[in-house]
Amino acid sequence: MSEETPQEDGQPTPPPSSPAGEPAPDNWLVGDSAPPAEIPAPAPANQADPEPAPAWNAPEPVAEAEPPALPEAIDRRSFLSRASSIAMGAGLVGSYGVFAAMAGRFLYPAHPPLKGWLFVIEVAAMKPGASLTYTAPDGATIAVARQGLTGQVGDFIALSSTCPHLGCKVHWEGQNQRFFCPCHNGAFDPSGKATAGPPKEAGQSLGRYPLRIDGGLLYIEVPLEGLPGPEEA
Amino acid sequence: MSLEAKRRIIFILGLLFLTSLVFVQWMEVTRKREEAGLSAAHVAVPASSKGCVDCHAENSPGIVAHWKGSTHAEKGVACFECHQAQQGEADAFSHYGQTIATVVTPMDCSRCHVTEGEEFAHSHHAKAANILASLDNLLAETVEGSREPFNPHSPTLGREMAAQVNGLASVNSGCQQCHGGRVALLDKDGKPVTNLDLKPGSDGKPTNAEALGRVARDAKGKPMLDSKTWPNTGIGRINLDGSLGSCAACHSRHDFSPRRARQPENCGKCHLGPDHPQEEIYNESKHGVAYRDLRDKMNLDAKDWVLGKDYSAAPTCATCHMSGNMRNGGKTTHDPGERISWTNRPPVSLVMDTDAQHGVVKEADPEKRRGLIVDTWQQKRQRMTDTCMHCHSPDYVNNFYKQYDDLVRLYNEKFGKPGLAIMAAMKKNGLLSEKDFDEKVEWSWYLIWHHEGRRARHGASMMAPDYTHWHGMFEVAERWYTEFIPEIREIIETAKKDGKKEAAEAAGKVVEEIMGRAEHKWPEEFKKGK
Amino acid sequence: MISPIAWLKERIPVDGDQLAELSNEPVPNHLKRWWFALGGTPAYLFVVQIVTGILLAFYYEPSPRTAYGSVQYITDTAAYGWYFRSVHKWGATLMIAAVILHQMRVFFTGAYRKPREINWMIGMCLLVCTLMAGFTGYSLVYEQLSYWGTTVGANISGSVPVVGPFMRDMMLGGEAYNERTLSRLFIVHAAILPALMVGLIVVHIALIRLQGVTEFQFKDEPADKPKHFPFFPDHLYTELSIGLVLMIVLSALATILPATLGPRADPLSTPEVIKPEWFFYVTFRWLKLFSGTFAILSSGFIAFTMFIWPFIDGWIRRKSKFQEASVAIGILAVLAIIGLTVWEAAVAH
Repeated sequence: MSEETPQEDGQPTPPPSSPAGEPAPDNWLVGDSAPPAEIPAPAPANQADPEPAPAWNAPEPVAEAEPPALPEAIDRRSFLSRASSIAMGAGLVGSYGVFAAMAGRFLYPAHPPLKGWLFVIEVAAMKPGASLTYTAPDGATIAVARQGLTGQVGDFIALSSTCPHLGCKVHWEGQNQRFFCPCHNGAFDPSGKATAGPPKEAGQSLGRYPLRIDGGLLYIEVPLEGLPGPEEA
Repeated sequence: MSLEAKRRIIFILGLLFLTSLVFVQWMEVTRKREEAGLSAAHVAVPASSKGCVDCHAENSPGIVAHWKGSTHAEKGVACFECHQAQQGEADAFSHYGQTIATVVTPMDCSRCHVTEGEEFAHSHHAKAANILASLDNLLAETVEGSREPFNPHSPTLGREMAAQVNGLASVNSGCQQCHGGRVALLDKDGKPVTNLDLKPGSDGKPTNAEALGRVARDAKGKPMLDSKTWPNTGIGRINLDGSLGSCAACHSRHDFSPRRARQPENCGKCHLGPDHPQEEIYNESKHGVAYRDLRDKMNLDAKDWVLGKDYSAAPTCATCHMSGNMRNGGKTTHDPGERISWTNRPPVSLVMDTDAQHGVVKEADPEKRRGLIVDTWQQKRQRMTDTCMHCHSPDYVNNFYKQYDDLVRLYNEKFGKPGLAIMAAMKKNGLLSEKDFDEKVEWSWYLIWHHEGRRARHGASMMAPDYTHWHGMFEVAERWYTEFIPEIREIIETAKKDGKKEAAEAAGKVVEEIMGRAEHKWPEEFKKGK
Repeated sequence: MISPIAWLKERIPVDGDQLAELSNEPVPNHLKRWWFALGGTPAYLFVVQIVTGILLAFYYEPSPRTAYGSVQYITDTAAYGWYFRSVHKWGATLMIAAVILHQMRVFFTGAYRKPREINWMIGMCLLVCTLMAGFTGYSLVYEQLSYWGTTVGANISGSVPVVGPFMRDMMLGGEAYNERTLSRLFIVHAAILPALMVGLIVVHIALIRLQGVTEFQFKDEPADKPKHFPFFPDHLYTELSIGLVLMIVLSALATILPATLGPRADPLSTPEVIKPEWFFYVTFRWLKLFSGTFAILSSGFIAFTMFIWPFIDGWIRRKSKFQEASVAIGILAVLAIIGLTVWEAAVAH
């Protein structure tokens, strides 16, 4: 540390370019800790240096020191220089690029929306033509209806009970074989396709949920998490 | 340093940085893989039970925590799915807008678990409460307690107690906690209302409106369960809806863990003690020793837990008596009697030929017998043999069964049948009263077959030598020769002196015929110096 | 058809050559020696902290209910979350270390002397900001130690005479740690301090650019060699290399010693051993050594002395013959700081 101590003189010395600089044999560095007050701070580079000092901004100082090179030597040099520039660029882009990609992965959702197969009802407990309203953990209500006798999963259909028109709740009408929305007389066939009312004009269908039967039990795949409604918060 | 050199340095440093990032990614992948199996499945509370869980997480967090760790929770089966009830059921009540019942019965569980429910309903387990009219119950009700409540004879210092002593306390806290009691609601006079009064139909709803009307309800409209009968998870519990049993007997609520039901300690809640020490016998056997050693290789959390596929380290009770194995296609049964070829419960062991009602056929006539049998003891033994053969050779298993059969026959023929014959002769000739436990010799005989004789037979059935011999046959013989026979002979001698010569001789003939048999002659011969 | 570059130049009237000229600072030769590049190190780390900090802020939720859980989510669930959190943590540690080393270099080479006194003071402000960022950042984790560290820190501020209670209330948003404390610490950590530091760093660098870097000449360099070398690309390469070395060091630290997560804050039970982050060990030990008010006033006095040191130094140099008294004082101060830090680190209480 002490080796780096500036020269021990009371007054700021002139810049090293000035001839006043005395050799200080016991000091390994000469120079100022501050330019003389009367002299303005080192001028920005575009104000010409008073002295024709070696240009500090020469592109490759090393090149100057060398004797004029032969054309093929220049070629070799410039090739090497270009190769090392490309390598350097590749190293920088590659490493920081991977860092950036990891940051991107960090910001992308850690896992796909959490879904799960949840129990709805025993198959035997639901007669053909019957329907029920299943409420998913996130609060969405789903109309589950049985339309067939086979006991296979094809008998069942699970439709979002939210009308795609303006968000009213639809219900299953067994006698008319349709889902009906009381708000604007929208109607949907058993597969959820609109058959009447504003949704038909707009070509909208009810959203469907996947179903599965396992051991005589009906399961539905629904989102497991959602934002709580106002009454739960 | 030249620019050229600096560029190269930057390139090399860039590669090093890249390497460190590749290492970071490797760590991330490893970490995710390690965590993949460990993280618990995400549990979402179904909308049907949202309200229950919100409140009970505060009031009874243990219940909610247990449930959250269950497979039910993963599959969206929560409070309401099991506790739901219909208007008109005897114990239904309205709880924050939902109609529920406290006691969940096999009828509720088998709405989803249909096969398990049927197998269990056929099992001897489901009929465990039949003991309520047996010799054992006589002990607890009358000998240990009192059939009628009685008045205390002095005050209990520092505590006001109910006016009368519940003479059935030992039945309620003892017998019925394993065997199951008859669940009762209280009527307005504090008297029990059970399935016998309610006469439930096949849907579990009571058909007797009068009895339903008698049920008392608290201020919130909740029917009151009789504290003598609830809590109760006895395996043969007789429920208000007429169904038999309690699934929670083995699959403890509220996590209903199959893991726990697979462990011998679970069966050991009831299968232990002086009269049927199955847990102790298992612990003594090489099976139990291996289990304790290799418990961490038992893969107890496996979904199906098939012997030979999911684990082979050691068998537990469930392995041999209930669980699926590779040789039977992985079929689990909830009727543990399906693989048992002897019943060692009665004074004389019987082969497990069972009828359509899964009862042991006792018919002696061979023709009639064949007509009654639906499932033979040989079929049952074959099922068990299949299980054994996952680890043992056929000869080994067959010879083991010979050893076991030999022990059962030795007990049956030397002590079981003769003891029954002597006791029958004594009662027939009026030398003993019809009722049990009023004479000393009746205790001796009870201990011989009910405790010691069973220990010997159970010990042999599950390879526990000490229980077969010292805790078993030795004690049978000791009690037979030093208590039972001397007591019988004394009664006969006394009767002779009291002038009941004829009766005494008739009974004495039976006794001496037995004691003169080759296998019982040794004391006489020893006395004669032979 | 107008070329895109011409189109752009028309709308953004900046002369590329001028810009290059302006930013292409002449760099004195002594900066070819690596240990003089310590000023660039905290600046680079500052950028790392901004980048990783923004990433972490995507998931961090500053409320007592959610803070710990969100840090847990970052650490356990989010992809590479543990890595970015660890880099942010180690970046902070290295940045504070680099700032202190940079300051020591400036101090012992006397580079703060006229006319650079103001830049020293700006540097002092940057030091204080860095330490405050370290303090607030640690408190955001909401684990036991960070919670109690914040509580103790706030109460230390609260015991400053006259303005103490006001400072504490401003810091905690109430007389004690409460529901609203974390959000305020978060905004200070993630918005106010970074913005302030960006401003200070701009001024810091602008002043260096205007006044020129203090120049040293090493005696082993021939006097006729060029005294400066170009910023582009020569010094830039140096800084790029330093940056990569720092990234490698950070990645290594993050993988070998990743940031951990202690037990969640429990306002009802204080851990047996509570310590601040290592850079506060000095202050913590000092406060334990002396009684309340004196300890606090003396700390404040020391900080103030450091702040106006260029003027004190100038005064000493004018009034006395001890031209390099600052070196001796500096060595004593460094020894004292190291001593107190080691002392605090070595004992439990």
